[in-house]
Amino acid sequence: MKPAPFDYVAPTTIAEACAILDEAGGGATVIAGGQTLMPLLNLRMSQPFILVDINKIPELQGITKETGFTRVGPVTRQCDVLTNADLARDLPVLVQAVRHVGHHQTRNRGTVGGSIALGEPAAELPATSVALGAMIEVSSVRGTRQVAAHDFYLGPYMTMLEPDELVTAIRFPDWPANHITLFREVAQRPGDFALVGVVGALAIEGGAIARAGIAWFGMGPTPIKARQAEAALIGQSLDSIDPAAIAALALADTAPFDDHHATAEYRRTVGKRIFASTLGAILTLGEAA
Amino acid sequence: MNAPEFGATGIGAARYIGQRVLRKEDPRLLTGRGQFVDDIALPGMLHVAFARSPIARGRILSIDTTAARELEGVHAVFLHADLSKQKIELLSFFLMPIEVPVTLLADGRVAYVGDPIALIIADSRHIAEDAAALVEVEYAEEDPVVTIADARTGAPVHPTTEHNISQEMGDEEIDEDLDAALNGAAHQITHHVTHQRISQSPMETRGVVASRDGPEELTLYITCQSPTNIARWMSMALGLPQTAIRVIAKDVGGSFGLKNTPWKEETATVVAALLYGRPLKWIEDRYENLTAANQAREAEMTLRIGFDKDGKLLASHSDYSSNNGAYPQGADANVAVQMFLWGAYKIPAFGFLTRGWYSNTIGLAAYRGPWAMESLARETALDTAARQMGIDPIELRRRNLLTLKEQPAASVMGLPLEDITPAECLEKLLAYFDVAAFRREQAEARKAGRYLGLGIAAYIEPTGSAGSMPVMTGELAQLRIEPTGQVTALMSTHSQGHGTATTMAQVIADRLGVAYEDVTVFEGDSSRGGFSPGAAGSRQGVIGGGAAIKASDLLASKVKELAAHLLNASPETITITDGMIHVSGAPEMSRSLRSIAEIAYGEPARLPEGFEAGLEAQYRYTPPPMTFTSAAHACTVEVDVDTGFVKILRWISSEDCGTVINPAVVEGQIAGGLAQAIGTVLLEDFHYDARGNPTTVTYKDYLLPQISDIPTFEFVHANTPSQSVGGMRGVGEGGAIIGPPTLVNAITDALAPFGEVPVNLPLTPAKLLSVIEGRDIAGTGAGTAASHAPAPVEVAVAEAPVAAVAAPVPAASTSVDGDWQITMVPPMGPPQEMTAHFATDGTALSGYLESPEGRQEFTGSYDGGKVKFELKVEKPMKITLKYDLTVDGDVISGKVKLGMLGSAKLTGTRIV
Repeated sequence: MKPAPFDYVAPTTIAEACAILDEAGGGATVIAGGQTLMPLLNLRMSQPFILVDINKIPELQGITKETGFTRVGPVTRQCDVLTNADLARDLPVLVQAVRHVGHHQTRNRGTVGGSIALGEPAAELPATSVALGAMIEVSSVRGTRQVAAHDFYLGPYMTMLEPDELVTAIRFPDWPANHITLFREVAQRPGDFALVGVVGALAIEGGAIARAGIAWFGMGPTPIKARQAEAALIGQSLDSIDPAAIAALALADTAPFDDHHATAEYRRTVGKRIFASTLGAILTLGEAA
Repeated sequence: MNAPEFGATGIGAARYIGQRVLRKEDPRLLTGRGQFVDDIALPGMLHVAFARSPIARGRILSIDTTAARELEGVHAVFLHADLSKQKIELLSFFLMPIEVPVTLLADGRVAYVGDPIALIIADSRHIAEDAAALVEVEYAEEDPVVTIADARTGAPVHPTTEHNISQEMGDEEIDEDLDAALNGAAHQITHHVTHQRISQSPMETRGVVASRDGPEELTLYITCQSPTNIARWMSMALGLPQTAIRVIAKDVGGSFGLKNTPWKEETATVVAALLYGRPLKWIEDRYENLTAANQAREAEMTLRIGFDKDGKLLASHSDYSSNNGAYPQGADANVAVQMFLWGAYKIPAFGFLTRGWYSNTIGLAAYRGPWAMESLARETALDTAARQMGIDPIELRRRNLLTLKEQPAASVMGLPLEDITPAECLEKLLAYFDVAAFRREQAEARKAGRYLGLGIAAYIEPTGSAGSMPVMTGELAQLRIEPTGQVTALMSTHSQGHGTATTMAQVIADRLGVAYEDVTVFEGDSSRGGFSPGAAGSRQGVIGGGAAIKASDLLASKVKELAAHLLNASPETITITDGMIHVSGAPEMSRSLRSIAEIAYGEPARLPEGFEAGLEAQYRYTPPPMTFTSAAHACTVEVDVDTGFVKILRWISSEDCGTVINPAVVEGQIAGGLAQAIGTVLLEDFHYDARGNPTTVTYKDYLLPQISDIPTFEFVHANTPSQSVGGMRGVGEGGAIIGPPTLVNAITDALAPFGEVPVNLPLTPAKLLSVIEGRDIAGTGAGTAASHAPAPVEVAVAEAPVAAVAAPVPAASTSVDGDWQITMVPPMGPPQEMTAHFATDGTALSGYLESPEGRQEFTGSYDGGKVKFELKVEKPMKITLKYDLTVDGDVISGKVKLGMLGSAKLTGTRIV
C-alpha cells in the first residue's frame, strides 16, 4: 500500500492551479483533505502523474455570507462547518449532514469541496448540495462557470468536472429564516456511507409550503433530486400533506442498487419508510411552530 | 474424586492474586513505546514486497521479471525456483506436514487471488511495490471453486488430490439406530446454520524482519504467538538447529490464531534473507492482510436433535462442512466442533459427519475458539426447539445441562467431565438478571410496536490443554531473586495483549512474599524463555500461572533454608512478607530479602553445606490434560422493525474461570471476545464473487465493530477452582464462542412474533427485515424460511478406484490371505501408509499391521469378503480401533472406527 510514483506541486493561486491542470492534460489529480484520495493512491487504484495540492491557495478556504447565498470555499474543513455559527443559523441542515460525514478524525482534515467533487452517491454532502439548490463554481484556464448541483453529478464518482477544471466555491442559496429541515440516514455504523438517506429543506409561507428541496443519497448512481415529491409539496398546507403519498412520489425518482451491504429492495423499503416518518415528524414540528 | 463446591474461592488469603492491579505493560504501550516488528530497523536492511495472482485459479504460462529487475533500487526478484534452493517444508501448528504441497511462491499454478508469485527485494517498500507491479505473468485461467457447494462438485483444487475434501471424519451414512432414535423422538428439529468467512484483523498485521548472522545463525523479529514455538517450527521447516534461530517478539498487536505459525509470506522472507544475505523486512499492509492473510470460520452445519415429550435430549446428528480454502493453516475437518458440541449436555446418542473442503480462496487459520460453530449451532437450535415445544429456553437448558452434582461423568463423545459448571453459571446469571421483569418490559414494548429480545446461552470451553499433542507442552517459569533483592522472571508465556507481564508478576509476588513492584517478567525472546506454544488454546493463565506458583515455592524454600541457616532458626519458622524475612517469635531477627540475596551470591563461605549459590529456581509445570471453563451469558436487544437494525441493550457474562488472577484482565479477555462476536453476528463478512475475487478488500466494505457497537458488559464471576495448580481456568476464547449464539438468540427472541430467523451470519438489516416482512428483501432467495437445504451429499471418494480395478479379478481369488499395502486417511495429519498381513482359517482371521511406528498383531473374522478386527492403542489416547473392510479382488477398502474420534477411510491393494 504505497502509491505509485507521482510529481507533487502545491500552487498558491487558483490561476496557477488551473494552469497546472491545463498542462497536465488529464494526468493530474487534485488533493484537498485527502481522506478518500490517499487510500486510493495507496491502493494504486488512482495513479496520477501529478498531484496538485490546493491546500496552500487562500481563496479556496473559508465561509462567507454574500448577497443571496453563502459561499463555502472547497478547502473548508468539515470540522469547521460544525463550529460555524452563521451556518448553524442559516443552513442548519448542512451542519447536520456534516456531522454524519466520516469520523471525528477524518472531518479534521476532510473538506467540503473534496466530498462534493468526489461524487460518492451514498455520501451526505453531494445530496445536501442538490437538496439546497447549491451552485458549484468551477474554474479553468478557459474561464469560470456555475453548475447547478443537480446537474453536476453524472454517475458514481463521475461529475461534469472536466480534467482541467477545479471546484473553486460552493454557493448555497439563502433559505428563509423559518425554513424547516429534514435529515435522516440509515448506516450500519456511525461514520459509514449511508445504506439510504434523505436530506432536505422546506420553506413555509402562510402555513403552506412555498419552496421544497429534497434529495436522496444511497438511492441511485448519483444523489437523486426528489423532483416529483418537491412539486407535489409546493403550495400544500402543512396539515393537508400525506407523508406516505409524498414518500411514494419521492421513491419514484430513485434507482437504487444492490451491493455488498444492502439490496435495492432494502433501500426502497427502508427509504420510503424513513422518508415518510421524517417528513411526518417535521410537518408536526412545523405546525407547532 | 468428589466434585468441588461451586464458586469456592481458589487460593486462600492473597495479596495480589484476585486484585485489579494496574498492568505493568500499559505505561509503555500507551505512550507509544511498544516495540512491534515495524519498529525494528537493522543496518543494511532491505524491504520485501510480493507480486501476487490476480486470478483465483490457473496455470502460469510465463513470468517475465525483466522490467522489475531493471528498476533502480531493486536488488533481486525471486521466483519459486530461486527460493527452492533452500530446503523448506511448511508445517501445521501441530508440527505436522501439510496434506498438499505448499510452496512459498507459486510453482506453476495459482490457487487463490493473492497467491504470491514473486518476491522483490528493494531499497524501500515503495520501490519493491513499484517493481511488483512490473512483474508480467501470463496465465491459462481456469474456473475456480469458491464455495462449499462448488467444492462438492468442482474439479479438485489441487492436482495431487482426487477430490476437494481436505479432511473427513465421522460416518457418511447415519447410523441406523441413531436415525431411528431421531425419527422416533417426540420432538424433532433440523437446524441449519451458516457461518460467514471472517478476517482475523489484528491491529498489527503480519510481519517479519529476518537477518542471517553468520552461516547458520538466524535472528527473526516476527509478530507471533510464541517466539519459542516459531524457533522450533522454523528449525523443523528449514532443517536448521533450533539453537541457531533466535526469535524476538517483544510486543504483538493481536493474533487471534492467525500468528500461530508463519505461512507463505513470512517464510518466503526468511528464506530470501538466508539466500540473499542481507536483513529483510516484510510488513503486511492492510490490503494484504485482508486479501492474503489466512482467514477464519466459513462453515455450515445441519444439526438434527430429538427430544422426548418433556424436552429431554434423546439423540443428535451433526453434519459440518468448512471451506478451508486452498492452503489451510489449520481447521482441517474441525473435529473439535463435534467433540464439544454436546460436551456440557446430557444426551445418550450422537453421531456426526465432519468435513473440510478445499477451494480457490485464502486458506483458513485458527481464530479465537476455532470450534465455536458448536455453540452457535447448539444454542440457537435449543432456542428454536424451545419455541416449537412451548418450553421456556431457560427451562429447556435446566433439564439438559450436566450439573456439578452429576459429576464425574463423561460426555457422549467420551470427554471426562469432573467439574464443569455451566448449569450453576446459568443459575448465578439468573440470580443477577431478572428475567421476569424483562419479560414484562418486553410485553409492554410489543404493545407499543417495539421489539425487545432476550438471548441466553451456556457452554464449556476447553482450556489449558497440555500433554495431548507434541506442541501442547507445559509452561516454564525461571525465577531469580537478584542480589538486589528484586525478582526477575523469565516466562515461556507470551503476550499479544494478554497482560502476562502483570498476571505472572502478581502470582510470583503473592507466592514468594515480595512486592508486586519488585517483580519483573520477561518473555518474547526465544533465547530467554523455555519452549511453549504460547498464546494458543487459552492456556497461559492456567499453565504459566501454575509454573509461576511452583517455581516461586521452590525459590521460597531455598530462601527459607538459607535464612534459617544464617539466623540459626529452623526453616519452618521463617516467613517471607513484603520482601522481608521474618522469624516467628523473634521480630528483632527480621532481615531484608536483599541482605540474604547478597550473601547467597557473594559469600559462598556463609552458605549451608551443599547449598547451591545464588537464589534461582525453575519449574516446568504440566497441568491435567484439559481444564474446562464454563459460562452462561445473557443479552438483551431491541430490533427496529422499520429498518432491521439491532441495538444491544445489556450483556451479562456469568463465567466460572476458577481462580481469577486479575479480574480486569479476565474481563478484558471476555469483552474482547464478545466484541468479535458482535462483529461476527452483525457486521463482518469476507466475501468472494463467483470468480473468486475478494470483494471486501478494505475496511470500507469489511465492517469491524466500532466502539459504538459494543455495550458496557456486566460481569458475574464464579470461582470454582480447577485441578491445576492455583486453580485457574483459561478464559481467552470464551467470549468469541458464546457471544454469537447469545446475540442471535436475543434477536430471534425479539422477532419471534414474525417467525424464525435463519441463522445465516451476519444477520444484516436486510436479512432481518426479510423475516419481519416475510419476503425476500436481502436477496438471499429466502423469505422467512431458511433456504439452504443441504446439497445432496454425493461424494465420490473411495468408490472410483475400486470400480476401476475390480473387473479383471476372478471371483475365486477373493481370499484375503497375504500382504496388503493400505492407506489410511486419519482425522489429523497426512494419510498414513501401512502394510497389512492377513491369514485365515475358516472364518477366523489373524495377522498384523506394520508401519514405521511398529507392528501390531490382531485376531478377527473373515466372512464373505468382510474383514473385521480390532486393535487397542494407547496413543494419542486410549481407544479401540475397529476395522471393517471389504475385499474385492486385489483391492481392499472400508473404514476404521476411532472411538470418539469418529472414523477414517482405508483403501489398499494386494502386494503381489
